Amino acid sequence: MSTLAKPLAGLMLALCCTTALACGHCVEDKIAAVYDHASVMQALDRKHHIAFFAIDGRLTLVDGASRGLETLAESAVGVDKGSARASAESAALAVAFDPKRTSFAAVQKTLERKFAGKKLTLQPLRIMDKPAQMKAVELR
Amino acid sequence: MKITLLIRSCMMTVAVLLLVACNREAPQTDPYDQSKMDLSPTPATLSDKRHQGAFAEGDALSMGTELKPLDPAPIKTIRLDTTHKIIEIAPGVKFSAWTFGDQVPGPTIRARVGDKIKFSMSNRSDEPVPGVQLTAAPMMHSMDFHAAMVSPQDKYRSIAPGQTIEFEFTLNYPGIFMYHCGTPMILEHIASGMYGALVVEPRDGYPTKVDREYVIIQSEFYAKPDPSGRKVDAAPLYVLDSDRLRASQPTHIVFNGAHNGMVKHPLPAKPGERVRLHVLNVGPSKTSSFHVVGTIFDRVWIEGNPDNQFRGMQTVLLGSSNSAVVEFVIPEEGSYIMVDHHFANASQGAIGLISTTAEAQEKDIEHHNIPASATPTEPDAAQGKLDFESKCLACHSVGGGNKVGPDIAGVTKRRSDAWLARWLKEPEKMLETDADAKAMLKEYNNLPMPNQNLSDKEIGRYIKYFHWIDAQPAGTAKYAEAH
Repeated sequence: MSTLAKPLAGLMLALCCTTALACGHCVEDKIAAVYDHASVMQALDRKHHIAFFAIDGRLTLVDGASRGLETLAESAVGVDKGSARASAESAALAVAFDPKRTSFAAVQKTLERKFAGKKLTLQPLRIMDKPAQMKAVELR
Repeated sequence: MKITLLIRSCMMTVAVLLLVACNREAPQTDPYDQSKMDLSPTPATLSDKRHQGAFAEGDALSMGTELKPLDPAPIKTIRLDTTHKIIEIAPGVKFSAWTFGDQVPGPTIRARVGDKIKFSMSNRSDEPVPGVQLTAAPMMHSMDFHAAMVSPQDKYRSIAPGQTIEFEFTLNYPGIFMYHCGTPMILEHIASGMYGALVVEPRDGYPTKVDREYVIIQSEFYAKPDPSGRKVDAAPLYVLDSDRLRASQPTHIVFNGAHNGMVKHPLPAKPGERVRLHVLNVGPSKTSSFHVVGTIFDRVWIEGNPDNQFRGMQTVLLGSSNSAVVEFVIPEEGSYIMVDHHFANASQGAIGLISTTAEAQEKDIEHHNIPASATPTEPDAAQGKLDFESKCLACHSVGGGNKVGPDIAGVTKRRSDAWLARWLKEPEKMLETDADAKAMLKEYNNLPMPNQNLSDKEIGRYIKYFHWIDAQPAGTAKYAEAH
């Protein structure tokens, strides 16, 4: 039984990961929905990083829903004011932060706490720390 | 006698053997045998090394309407970079577009079954455009080839400005396949100009020989004047109208990116010549009832595949991203009208000509630089001119002679303003009651003018424009080179 446990757990994990993005939208599509070139370049000029997340949970698709998510994200400590971009339709979020003041893990943790209040969870997708470079996120 | 019998029996034996051979079924080879298809392409690669120089490169590319002959190389190296630029989709309508290869539609790729496409694309939407600095903000883009059998998550991923994606695939089926940007919102990316055609010939070529080959791509534009009032060369900048886009209410429906483009620049063909049109409707939301007035399609290959053949068709119905090869003979001297026979679409610009009197273009038509005709300075008349060019030029000329409807030059001298206003407002009612309207209908082959649902204000603008035309020195307001 124990010999099967690890492969089975691996399979379950793989299935879970697939399910999270099984809506037909690629990671890059979600990023594209919240990619604001001017905002990205402004953050990178200041040596700040941009983190992209998928949002999971029931999102209300009404006017102003995306703006509400952005306000929520910007209330998180460490997130640059005015940097949040959210798409309720594509269920995605982008925020910029100063890596000298905080870490990606800390930003993620704070955002997850904020979004949990709305019964939403976040899945990190990519981090940008240089123009035209999107790095995979090391999961905590 | 014995010799004769021997010869007869030998002949009988040979005949029987031949019959047996004929009855035996020849071994069939399935051209679509998936076990022989290349379905294991290598993974895409992504880098932050952007291309420099030309936005489109490759020997297999045709940049305009005329389709170049097949490049025999089995590997086609293609580069199509994405750009943002201002294009002129109709006279005076300068539209903020997003492109593949810096043109709309993107260049046509020609290849054949079994060829490998080695594709690369840099997202150069952040590069400054010479001259006009009014393009849309840089954004992520991607490439979706309908001709490829690959993982979308690997090959069709969106890339950021400055990034380059490279991937390859083998062409397994013949056809005319759409390519387009697949980045959300896909509707906006296609409606902004990010599409083109990949023509895949059968492995052994087409079964017929033709004298001319053209690519016709039908698409819609949803344009509105920039809400912030920006201008290009003193003309209003037009941007994507998202409300109209979502409601499927285009402002322009065009062939090859230009409203009435092939009316002004007809495609040449000679009497007796056989013409092959590769027709693709990219939509994004309307169907096309493609028809050529004066001909019957001898052959129609649905989706561009000769295995899907019809004979003797008048019209071919194409949904969004559907295609067809249509072949026909030019019977005699004349201008043969390509049209979307859904005439509401045709009246928005989906019209073009194949003409026996047209001269071949020395180079591909650069429809983004349509020469402007003289323009009124009075704002209402100027708007009337834009409206006329958008809605009426398909059927009427200005000083170029009668077309589907009468020449507009001199109309204010032939009709009163009140008559014109009533005619523009309710042509169907005028045709029931007005003798002049009835006579005109008869003169123009019983083709009634459609009711364009114009407001009184719009009608007033048209009439002001008509008066402006008739106040110009003869010939200076001419607008219909096609006839």
